[in-house]
Amino acid sequence: MARKKKSTVAGTGTVSFNMTPMIDIVFNLLIFFILTSQFTRLEIEDVVLPKSITAINKDTTTFRNVVINIVNPDSPTVIVFGQKVDHQIRGGENELTQLLKGRKASLTAGETMNVILRADAEVPYEDVARVMLAAGAAQIQGWWITTEIDKKEPKGAP
Amino acid sequence: MAKPEKRPEPAKIQPPMTPMIDCVFQLLIFFMLMPSFDSTEGYLTTNLPTTTGPNQAAQIDVLRIKIELEAIGPKGEGVSIILNDSETFGTNFEGLLAALQGLRAKGLPPDHPVLISPWMGTRQKWVVRAFDMAVAARFTNIHFAVPYD
Repeated sequence: MARKKKSTVAGTGTVSFNMTPMIDIVFNLLIFFILTSQFTRLEIEDVVLPKSITAINKDTTTFRNVVINIVNPDSPTVIVFGQKVDHQIRGGENELTQLLKGRKASLTAGETMNVILRADAEVPYEDVARVMLAAGAAQIQGWWITTEIDKKEPKGAP
Repeated sequence: MAKPEKRPEPAKIQPPMTPMIDCVFQLLIFFMLMPSFDSTEGYLTTNLPTTTGPNQAAQIDVLRIKIELEAIGPKGEGVSIILNDSETFGTNFEGLLAALQGLRAKGLPPDHPVLISPWMGTRQKWVVRAFDMAVAARFTNIHFAVPYD
């Protein structure tokens, strides 16, 4: 007598979802976002920004930007990418001008570059002016001043 | 003949993955959204004149509105505002705004050059406020004076 084939009806067995690859992918994504969120802060130093009522949020990723921090109002220091850079004006080009020229030379055709200044509110203007001169000498025209947005408007403001 | 004893299969231990997936997704969403939390910073934008050398700046030789900022106080922490070498406003930036709006009302176009000329020792916060007032008065062509060393 022939053996009867056991028939299996679809849907009667248990189906389990393999979680291991999904956990791998999710951890990869998590590590990626943790690391990239840290990278964007490397070029930013802790300063007390001046307040502004007309400052606007802008997308800083649209252009190739260089963030220049001026910290320590008592002895102003220029910091770019976490490194101190000499911005004093002497005969010839200073270190900051050379750095900006080098960055500008790395641009591809059609790209523009801006300087994003993050100067402490109490920094004397002459140090900001020296950074401006270095940017001008490197033929960089875009100049963005980072401020804290002040919601209070002065009387008479439109 | 006795059947050989089957060794019992070791028990499979599988920790429950569902709570871990929940926590991991929470962390993932947090780190994806975190960069957008810091939106209290803004930018004031302008264009610098290009220079021909490291110690020179382009000079604006037109009839421009000049806002001078003089540092006052023992450590230069205060400021005195002087508009067009004639009007003084002390530390009254609202007065400066009103004067600039008056100039616009007299027919000056928005792209009329405005030069902010801080004296030595003026703090950056006063320079930014002067820039603010010029922007609030709807001027668009604002430049900074660069002192020559």
